Amino acid sequence: MIELKNFKTRLKIAKDRFKKNSIISDKGENSSFTGSAFKLGTELVSAVLVGTIIGFILDTWFDTKPWLIILFFFLGSAAGILNVIKTAKKMQPKD
Amino acid sequence: MATNPMHQFKVYKIGPEINLAGIDLSFTNASLFMLLSAVAICATLFLGTREKKLIPGKFQLVAEMFYNFIYKMISDTAGSKAKPYFPFIFSLFMFVLFCNMFGMLPYSFTVTSHIIVTLIMAIFIFIAVTVIGFLKHGFGYLKLFVPSGVPLILLPLITIIEIISYLSRPVSLSVRLFANMMAGHTMLKVFGGFVISLGMLGGWLPLGFSVALTGLEILVAFLQAYVFAILTCIYLNDALNLHH
Repeated sequence: MIELKNFKTRLKIAKDRFKKNSIISDKGENSSFTGSAFKLGTELVSAVLVGTIIGFILDTWFDTKPWLIILFFFLGSAAGILNVIKTAKKMQPKD
Repeated sequence: MATNPMHQFKVYKIGPEINLAGIDLSFTNASLFMLLSAVAICATLFLGTREKKLIPGKFQLVAEMFYNFIYKMISDTAGSKAKPYFPFIFSLFMFVLFCNMFGMLPYSFTVTSHIIVTLIMAIFIFIAVTVIGFLKHGFGYLKLFVPSGVPLILLPLITIIEIISYLSRPVSLSVRLFANMMAGHTMLKVFGGFVISLGMLGGWLPLGFSVALTGLEILVAFLQAYVFAILTCIYLNDALNLHH
């Protein structure tokens, strides 16, 4: 019987902790940064790639080679840097 | 060409060629390993939930561990609103994890080392998240592309940059998984080739590296499945809780 009582108190403590956790997460706080750490490199490259592809497609549509591809390359680079900043911000602990 | 490090990524047909309305639907080694991982996931979870004990057995422990892990990840990153999407993220994580882990077996094929597989999953997630965002917020979801507190002159430029940034999500999501798996397996094969070509005298060093890399690859296999799932959660979070 003592064991069962022990178990019940332990269960109660665990449930309380669980409740507290879910309240915190409702505020939208990101407590897990491990995943974000691996984002940065590909974020930068993929945005440049997507920007350049969009520029290429628009160029073929409007027949303005090579101006849009140049423009969108730089816009893509800016988007990449924006991505990295956003990800880095997510990694910072919130005040 | 057994020493060619890229030979392991070759897709070949198993059994007869199936052609449906001009589309090649033959059963390949990639399909085989996808099927194997799906069966393995079902078997693990079936065995784990067959008898529910207060003190769990081995399989039940594994199943509960996976469940808790994903549950905690979703509530940490996307909050309680994301709970209806638990089955999807759980299946996604398990599939990527088991495909990666099956790739670690000798003579096996790594499904996730092909960009078409990861890209299809990423595009599906991207479209699903966009649809969920529009369903939840209507056209208010477009506010995601218009950050507040930006001068009016810069607004068109910033909006284009934000749209490119949004469109780059599936690319970065898929390329990360694909590149990690492919690079790791190529490296394993290259070091394996060194063992053969250096022979008994010099082969010990690359053999040691091979062993170390295998351990690293198992870590990467798990980590990439985790990253894939957690990024899905983060994108889902953006769609559900619109705050910029």
